[in-house]
Amino acid sequence: MLERPATPALRAARTGLCAVTRLAFGCAVTCVVAGAAWAGSGVALDAAKALVCSAEGPQSIDGARLLLEDGEIIAIGSASEVEIPAGFEHVDLGKRWIMPGMIDLHSHISGAFDINDTVFQVNPGLRVSATLRPGNRDHEVALASGVTTVLYIPGSGSNVGGVGVLHQTTSGTYEEVLVRDPGSLKVAQGDNPARWGYGMGRLMMNHHIRSSMRQGKAYAQRWAAFESGAGEAPDRNLSLDIYRQLESGETQISTHTQYYQVVLASLRLLRAETGFDMYIDHGTFDSWKLGPLAKELGVAAVLGPRSVLWPRPPRFDSDGRAEGAAWGFQQTGVDRIGFNTDAPVVPQHELTVQAAMGVRYGLDDAEMAAVRGLTIVPAMVAGIDDRLGSLEVGKQADVLVVTGHPADPRTSVERVYVRGELVYDAEQEVRRW
Amino acid sequence: MRFSNTIGAAFAAVALFAATPAAKAALLSPQDEESSDESGEEGFGEDDGPETHYFAVRGADVYTGTGEVLRGATVLAKNGRIKAIGYDVEIPGLDFQADVPSKERGYTAEVLDAAGYRVYPGMVAIESSGLLGTGGDYRDSIDPFDQNMILGLSTGITSTGQSNAACKLKRYISQDPPVPYDFDGIVLRDDCYANFSWGSGSARRSVREKLVRASEYLREYRQWQIDVKNDKELKEPSKKGVDNSVLDVLQGNVLAKFRADSREDLLGIARIAQEFGFRPAIDGCREGWTVAAELGRAGAFAIVTPRERRDKSEMLVREGGSSIENAAILYAAGVQVAIKPASRGISLGGITGRDIMHLPVEVGFAIRGGLPEDAAIAAVTTVPARMMGVSHRVGTLEVGKDCDLIVTDGDLLHYQTFVQWTVIDGQVVYDKQDELYFAHIRPRAETEVAPLRRLDAGENEEAAEEGDSEADGDDDKDKQNGKDEEE
Repeated sequence: MLERPATPALRAARTGLCAVTRLAFGCAVTCVVAGAAWAGSGVALDAAKALVCSAEGPQSIDGARLLLEDGEIIAIGSASEVEIPAGFEHVDLGKRWIMPGMIDLHSHISGAFDINDTVFQVNPGLRVSATLRPGNRDHEVALASGVTTVLYIPGSGSNVGGVGVLHQTTSGTYEEVLVRDPGSLKVAQGDNPARWGYGMGRLMMNHHIRSSMRQGKAYAQRWAAFESGAGEAPDRNLSLDIYRQLESGETQISTHTQYYQVVLASLRLLRAETGFDMYIDHGTFDSWKLGPLAKELGVAAVLGPRSVLWPRPPRFDSDGRAEGAAWGFQQTGVDRIGFNTDAPVVPQHELTVQAAMGVRYGLDDAEMAAVRGLTIVPAMVAGIDDRLGSLEVGKQADVLVVTGHPADPRTSVERVYVRGELVYDAEQEVRRW
Repeated sequence: MRFSNTIGAAFAAVALFAATPAAKAALLSPQDEESSDESGEEGFGEDDGPETHYFAVRGADVYTGTGEVLRGATVLAKNGRIKAIGYDVEIPGLDFQADVPSKERGYTAEVLDAAGYRVYPGMVAIESSGLLGTGGDYRDSIDPFDQNMILGLSTGITSTGQSNAACKLKRYISQDPPVPYDFDGIVLRDDCYANFSWGSGSARRSVREKLVRASEYLREYRQWQIDVKNDKELKEPSKKGVDNSVLDVLQGNVLAKFRADSREDLLGIARIAQEFGFRPAIDGCREGWTVAAELGRAGAFAIVTPRERRDKSEMLVREGGSSIENAAILYAAGVQVAIKPASRGISLGGITGRDIMHLPVEVGFAIRGGLPEDAAIAAVTTVPARMMGVSHRVGTLEVGKDCDLIVTDGDLLHYQTFVQWTVIDGQVVYDKQDELYFAHIRPRAETEVAPLRRLDAGENEEAAEEGDSEADGDDDKDKQNGKDEEE
């Protein structure tokens, strides 16, 4: 792993230091070093295929070339069309492919599992950013598996667990790994939060959630009115501040919601009644049958870790078929389908298996739904697609070098660039993943 | 004439001459090739009785597991054993004797048309739980209707280690009228291993003591075998204190099985195995990659879970912990690698891709770590068969072995591939389209001719009575020819 400079002063010299560190690794990463003036300059990656994953347009380029400089993608196209500027390091990746760094919108690996402070049943004021510890072992493996960005969120021990944080899996200070805080407001329905205490059932839980949503909405609207010049400044309420960002669309609600009845409640409580931006998180078992409503309300589905409804009567209306959640949502017209691990429920580094299982159990991958569900879809869902999720000019250079289709367990991740820096190289040591 | 040991069969053979003079054919099994000249039907008639059943799968790409891949070949089984694999294998009841009523043929026959599919040996799971009953001894708990068994078959697993035995997934096949489930044929072998505990100092000492005593006894016994020739009165050495299972290990009858992960334990096992001259099987073997050469020298077998991830203790400076490259490094050092999944049972909780039903996914992770694909398939076929001492029956597709095979719609190790048919002992026991579970996922195209057909001339006769004079064996042939042309 490349060390990141520890202080802001040193950070200013990052590019130069990074180059030195690269030299210290004996240039093992470079196949061709074009000239001596490469230090501090950009990198040109030539790959057999680039999985572009743009929101719209062509999804892949054969014989691709990608230029990255100062942490950004500055060009991508066919190798015959993109010229390598003078001073760029030229890396010929041969048969390997390149793709965007992967994003997991449901992860718990970034702290010490101190993410279930459930003194109250509803805790919109809590923030997991207080417990984030970048650079742990799980992050190291996540990075080696190509997961470069995660949404670290509270557990589902209470109905509103608190505010998550979107961050990168690289090492560094909080500021250095931060993508966005607040990453989301975590809401949990069904099952887990019912364990909060005696007598807690769905009626009470829905009541609590609805109360908090209504309170928060009203609070946010008072602030919005004040900011547009109407009325007095409301009293600051730290428990409700997150709703201001939800109201303004700066963040989303990520909802632990898993089967039909519960997802139906999610769509009503968190979306139809409030107008907040929310997405179905988990969305397993028979919940895909709500696909048409989700589509109508513009709600995305980020699926996992349970990806298949297995014949398990009598709880679910199942005729014995194995039904993939991704297949179901796709069938019913939901166009944004992502994958998650709920790490460590499924290990963070097995995110790609979630996509593989989606395809195995019926997801049509003809339009690259599997890869999109690991990259651009979660980026769009979390509202970070202006910076992450695809290999497009102007985006942050989070680039993976892979040996084939990323969903295939046989495919290995050979290199990982985050913000243009090579942060993982499989050739450096015996691989952990 | 070798075939004429029953009158009925001789009659059938004569009928064959008259009906299909063009049938030249011989099955490509070694004993038939010697005498396959003008008569052309050696191998039929011989031993054929009313109980004789032929099963053939034809047109598929056959991955034999021995290194060969035969594109568009035929596998023919007789009474559950593979009789021939190759090209121009003529199928009884189809390529000849098609218009001989099955009663007169003296055998029944079935053919599975699988052009465009792949055939692999049925997988041998080195261990699993719950495929043959709810736990404990399979004899007490086996449920031949169990959903788990069907799901195991849907995965392509035809045999599995359970407890200490190697078993076949023998499912109840409905018949009319119903017949009772027959427990025979489940067990390939009992007592495949001697299980050695290696977890504590006292356990290790106990293993050593038993090995010392057993090898002492073996030495004495062998000397006695020599000496007793000169002195008939010489007393056989005492077997007192000798552990029979340890004796079996030293004699190479069973594998000594250990459960160990740490480098120190693995080195200890390699050391003691070489000292006493036996080959250890090591379940776990997490840090095997750090001592692969030593394990290779000891002739070890390893049962690994490629995707297992465990960090080494922070107290250790040496390398350690898990590595995705474990299987590949062990294999390169000559260790025989078998693969078991992260979870050895069937998991229906919804978290998918980690249980025995997704064994090929687990194998994929070994390839991710650098294991060659053929070694990876061997890790769920030949190596487990060898470890359990049943490789003469299962693990590869070879003449004489059990006809346990799977027909897939693609590369066995691709996550999208489904097993379409599973065959055990020359009998189709799973058909994806016939079961509820996966039939709706990328369903098979319906073909004009049912892929699996009983080759029963009786049916054709009925058709003839209805006026279809062409409805005989030739009809089948025409269809087959048409199909060949399409290809």
